[in-house]
Amino acid sequence: MDISKREAKDSLNQIETATAQTRKSIASNYDSPLLILWGLIWFTGFILTHFFLPWVWLIWMGLCGIGTAVTLLVGWWQFHTGSPVKTPAAEKIGWRIFWFWTLLFVYMFIWLSILKPRHGIQMNAFMCTAIMFAYVVTGLWSKSFYMLWLGLAVTGFTLIGFYFIPPSYYCLWMAPTAGGALFAMGLYMRLRWR
Amino acid sequence: MAKLDNIIHQPIRLRIMSALVALDVGEQVDFVYLRKILKLTDGNLGAHLAKLENARYIKIEKTFIARKPRTFINVTGKGRDTFNEHVTALRKIIGKAKK
Repeated sequence: MDISKREAKDSLNQIETATAQTRKSIASNYDSPLLILWGLIWFTGFILTHFFLPWVWLIWMGLCGIGTAVTLLVGWWQFHTGSPVKTPAAEKIGWRIFWFWTLLFVYMFIWLSILKPRHGIQMNAFMCTAIMFAYVVTGLWSKSFYMLWLGLAVTGFTLIGFYFIPPSYYCLWMAPTAGGALFAMGLYMRLRWR
Repeated sequence: MAKLDNIIHQPIRLRIMSALVALDVGEQVDFVYLRKILKLTDGNLGAHLAKLENARYIKIEKTFIARKPRTFINVTGKGRDTFNEHVTALRKIIGKAKK
């Protein structure tokens, strides 16, 4: 079977496009609803914190509680109703992800109790960057480079907010940048990667 | 020496195989989902899948999930090897032409 150089190039382009499209579509299917959800939670949390600072614990505990419950529900639903891609070790991977995030939060509280941040912004910046570090690591592990870039971008926004934005405007900065970045990425994946 | 495969070389089958090879080893993809990703019709995808299955490049599994019939497809070891060989051959053609 003989083909020209041009035909070979076209075939390789087709392969690259179909491969990338499949990977993106799968990532979009699993991750975009959760990114949209957490983007909205972060956005709402920061806005509410700015206007109702005395209620900060209640705001974040409530929002994160809702977010965690919905995340677990989505994971359970995808597993039991049959996701479009069946992985032989899906249950194992699911539990591994669950324990990774649970342990991350346990360790975050350990580190916070050791470091004892002096003010709320310090604590918030610490939590945001720790969560984004998890995004970066997950992105590297699973070759989901959008997660890597998203993690780095939100870390960058957090550092800008922490070092360069006046403390009274920190939450107003973080709502559209950090929350907005998660939401925008989720929405972009939903609309363009499917 | 890597050689081109006649069955895989057909453009639609090439896209199907590319999509399937993008999954991890052992992963299966739903027929409806694959049809959506590749923007094909039921009949068109079904016909090409049958050819690939006859060549033992893919495995088709029919099952029930939540009482609904579902068809899952995955690439076999033979299919993955042949596809990789096909890609190597394509790259060689481009490499040869560059000389």
